[in-house]
Amino acid sequence: MDYTTLKIAWRNIWRHKLRSSIIILAVTIGLFGGLAAAGIMKGMVFDMVKNTIETQVSDIQIHNENFLLNNEIEFLIDDSDNKLTEISKNQNVKAVSQRTKTYGMAATASTGTGVMINGIDPEKEQLVTNIYSKFTDSLSTYFTSGKKNRIIISSKLADKLNVKIKSKIIITFQDFEGNLTGASFKVTGIFKTQNAMFDEQNVFVRKTDLDRLLVMPKNTSHEIAILLNKNIDAKTQAAEIQKIVPTYKIEAWEDIDPYLKLTSSLTSYMLIIFMSIIMIALGFAIVNTMLMVILERTKELGMIMAIGMNRFKVFKMIMYETTMLALVGGVVGIVISAIFTWYFGDVGIDISSVSEGFEQLGYSSVMHPVLEMSDYIQVVILVMITGVIASIFPTIRALKMKPAEAVRD
Amino acid sequence: MKVIEIKDLYKIYTETEVQVKAVNGISLDFEEGEFTAVVGPSGCGKTTFLNMVGGLDSPTSGTIKIDGSDISTLSSRELIDFRLHNIGFVFQAYNLIPVLTAKENAEFIMQLQKKSKAEREARIAELFTAIGIEGKEDIRPNRLSGGQQQRVAVARALASKPKFILADEPTANLDSKATSDLLDIMRKLNEHENITFIFATHDQRVIDRAKRVVTLEDGKVLSDISK
Repeated sequence: MDYTTLKIAWRNIWRHKLRSSIIILAVTIGLFGGLAAAGIMKGMVFDMVKNTIETQVSDIQIHNENFLLNNEIEFLIDDSDNKLTEISKNQNVKAVSQRTKTYGMAATASTGTGVMINGIDPEKEQLVTNIYSKFTDSLSTYFTSGKKNRIIISSKLADKLNVKIKSKIIITFQDFEGNLTGASFKVTGIFKTQNAMFDEQNVFVRKTDLDRLLVMPKNTSHEIAILLNKNIDAKTQAAEIQKIVPTYKIEAWEDIDPYLKLTSSLTSYMLIIFMSIIMIALGFAIVNTMLMVILERTKELGMIMAIGMNRFKVFKMIMYETTMLALVGGVVGIVISAIFTWYFGDVGIDISSVSEGFEQLGYSSVMHPVLEMSDYIQVVILVMITGVIASIFPTIRALKMKPAEAVRD
Repeated sequence: MKVIEIKDLYKIYTETEVQVKAVNGISLDFEEGEFTAVVGPSGCGKTTFLNMVGGLDSPTSGTIKIDGSDISTLSSRELIDFRLHNIGFVFQAYNLIPVLTAKENAEFIMQLQKKSKAEREARIAELFTAIGIEGKEDIRPNRLSGGQQQRVAVARALASKPKFILADEPTANLDSKATSDLLDIMRKLNEHENITFIFATHDQRVIDRAKRVVTLEDGKVLSDISK
């Protein structure tokens, strides 16, 4: 490592403190802006993925393959209790539950709407999903009364049907034998998630109630949902669990909601795209500054080349100076971004005034920015590349100098 | 022993319609340990001559041999390397790197030559004592006087023990006392280290101290007097 050239380059940055500070500030602000925006976007997507998994899709789902094609209730998962037991033995599985599912109509005296009726085992279900924590009405309970025919609906649906806690809703559907049937359900809980579409389409009843009404065969279900421990890859575990349920379709959340996966993947690229655009703009400013520097130091550079510093060393000196100038701003920008992300990642940025639109898309109204170590490393590399590229043109100008002419007074 | 042998040296500029012969057929030899002033009016070709001897400019024709090696045939990359290892320079101004201390400036060429730290330390200590600026090793040039800066430049030029030193108007920006002190130091080092010094100068004080005076006029040697 050429410490002398590094030392000269580093000290040269601080020869003109004001000029260098302006460039460093520009890089800092540019980087912070880009990282903060990317962090907010990434946090929004992370939240959306996390909420979707915890509220709706879980990490892994298992179905009869034919059920996925047309949602006919005769396509079952047999011996579902034993399957649940076997799946629970996997040390990466946090919780597992099973559901009976059928489409039906939910109606009151004023109106009716089509819904997906989810028959759940509340004790197991609340370990897998967190609907129970999304109640908006203080009178809501999560099937704790033990009474039959209780239903949990969303606040959106409650408004649509004009019902409240203890109101009655008529649910009609086709049973296992093809008969049109139904029952009256009393509203026991009203919830609200971040996904308005999910809220409007889904209602929850006890599996025992729905199985009875549907005349379902014993020990069957339509869907098994699995929540994994933190940081466990869903796809890998899905492949493992497939061995327990070889004849059924097993899907990780990425397969259940490809849009979610796509959105999640895109955020990684967005950071690079954002930062590249910012660094290209800042790169021009750095080139401009370094050209001024070269012009000012014509005699000095001429003297250095005259006494024996070869062109490669001169190139290195200018490249080090340019890159370090960019890096100082980069490091400061990263530190500020890290503090911003650490603080607001915990506290959150409340955008409730526009949250209704966001919630329609499945995003939370409180944003928690997220940036990972790999993001910072990518930015550092980008800054260094910018520094190196920005040094090329000034160096070419410097090397075109003839030492004899440059040192002439 | 001859350090520099110059034969039929020409430098002709043809950038305008009129041909300018900056150096017009100079043949000179320089021995080891010389203390020579190259004098003449402005435009006589002193600086051009010195630049060619130092490998900073290429001759139109003629040969320059340094220790037997013809530098007029070297590429620019080879010339840079040759200068680094064989020639010391003292310029009129902007001699020192502003962001390095006096010591760092003086050892700069030795660092380019990848000399060891021990070797550098020993040599610089010896030279700083000889040039009389002990205690100012860690001071940057902007806090040294003009005379002190030129002394550091001399130390740097001598640090790597080159074959000869070229000094182009080194006293031009100095007052009389600083000039006198600098020249005394250079003369002392010339005798002690037996390194050839060649000055391009108008300064009578330099001429008075020189052992040999070469006078140029219109790119030619007008006179060559050894004292």
